[in-house]
Amino acid sequence: MEMVKDVLIGLWESSGFAALFVDGAFLWQNLVMILVAFVLLYFAIAKKCEPLLLVPIAFGILLANLPGAGLMDDPTGLMDTSNIVEGAHWYDTGVLRLIYAGVKSSIFPCLIFLGIGCMTDFGPLLSNPVSLLLGAAAQLGIYVAFVVAIALGFTPQEAASIAIIGGADGPTAIYLTGKLAGHLLGPIAVAAYSYMALIPFIQPPIMKLLTTKKERQVEMKQLRKVSKVEKIVFPVVVLVICAFILPSVAPLLGMLMLGNLFKECGVVDRLSDTAQNALMNIVTILLGLTVGATTNGATFLKAETLKIVVLGLMAFCFSTVGGLLLGKLLYAITGGKVNPLIGAAGVSAVPMAARVAQNEGRKYNPTNFLLMHAMGPNVAGVIGSAVAAGFLLSRFG
Amino acid sequence: MDFTIVDALLTSVIGILTVMAILAIIAVLIILVSKIIRKLESSVAKSEAVIGSEPAATASAGVPMPEGMNEGEVELVGTDEKTAAVIMALVSHNSGIPLNRLSFKSIKLLDEKGADTNGNG
Repeated sequence: MEMVKDVLIGLWESSGFAALFVDGAFLWQNLVMILVAFVLLYFAIAKKCEPLLLVPIAFGILLANLPGAGLMDDPTGLMDTSNIVEGAHWYDTGVLRLIYAGVKSSIFPCLIFLGIGCMTDFGPLLSNPVSLLLGAAAQLGIYVAFVVAIALGFTPQEAASIAIIGGADGPTAIYLTGKLAGHLLGPIAVAAYSYMALIPFIQPPIMKLLTTKKERQVEMKQLRKVSKVEKIVFPVVVLVICAFILPSVAPLLGMLMLGNLFKECGVVDRLSDTAQNALMNIVTILLGLTVGATTNGATFLKAETLKIVVLGLMAFCFSTVGGLLLGKLLYAITGGKVNPLIGAAGVSAVPMAARVAQNEGRKYNPTNFLLMHAMGPNVAGVIGSAVAAGFLLSRFG
Repeated sequence: MDFTIVDALLTSVIGILTVMAILAIIAVLIILVSKIIRKLESSVAKSEAVIGSEPAATASAGVPMPEGMNEGEVELVGTDEKTAAVIMALVSHNSGIPLNRLSFKSIKLLDEKGADTNGNG
């Protein structure tokens, strides 16, 4: 009878229910985060909001907040020295914590960039190089959010990591935050990907506010055809120039341009196929899962997270404003040949932002076809946000 | 050392200017490289056109189409245009008759049974 009692007590003590009570304190935060995971899973599956990312992220949140499961435990202090256990080995580390090493070491964001490079066609950018300026202007939000974050009391490293949300580029945000403020990775990644999914709702009101009907109706002339040689030379030239000016940008941009060279050179189809399909999918699972797993209730549910969410939204809005304002300037300079709406596509988020520009343009001129024109600033935004991250890293890294 | 709002503003201004400058440099480089590549490609295309003009002239000076004849239409049954073109080229090559002197009425894919019978027969 005594043994049965011991077994039952042992079962209770090792259960997740008992683990919810630590030293008499109730870990309500974990339960809230489990609910958040359910809500995100609902949006991903039922509403199809960025499901490829949101499903692993939401599941990572769920796994990391299961009391007592220890999936993110770090007893040897590999990445977090706050809970070191005497005599523990590296293999006692939680399985998600081990996988998280790929985020912490920037392997995953770089591999994602390799896949993005394989999937990106820089043709529209090459046929209209002015698009690069639109991609640069659409990084405005990063710097506006940086100033406001400093004003709110964040450290420069934290402010830079929060501000990069305005680049609308998930891997870049994860890369920079992993280097500068790893403890903010969870809220920043969740905010960045959430806003990217919400672009069709965030951008149109700003586009409407800042442009006239006449500007939105502008039809742009057809882009010239870009030769294969130009497409092959482009990634090499861009990488060399950027890496010489800002060496800290080399890991991200290097992988992006390597992927693009795989795609364009036409002699490594197998590598290109692997990078943009199998490898990309594997890394997306691991990255999403471990980024979600960083959102431990006790550290995530703070007023600081709310500030990050608000600052991220602000950064996104100002990036859109920056692109639109330069678009308007180009409209004026060219005598109405540039539709300012394509400036809003400068906020990376490929190809969602370009699609928004296309849809908004067609609302006011059903015969207008802005997609390819918007793809130029859109892919320029990827380069722009990587350069912005490189600048912040060189300044605060 | 405290990082003040003024420092943040300065960093932001330098930051956005850096991004603008780097992307502007890339834009200028793209324009330059594109011009060079297009120039090279057009000069290569011109020299290829000069080399290729001789056979083209020979071909155009080939056997003229007899009067009252046109290229006509070929009925393709179970055959795609690519295969038909290859067959017509082979017939022309093997018979030594130029294509514009040959008249194809139809090219038909024989079924498995028929082909087998023909092969055995």
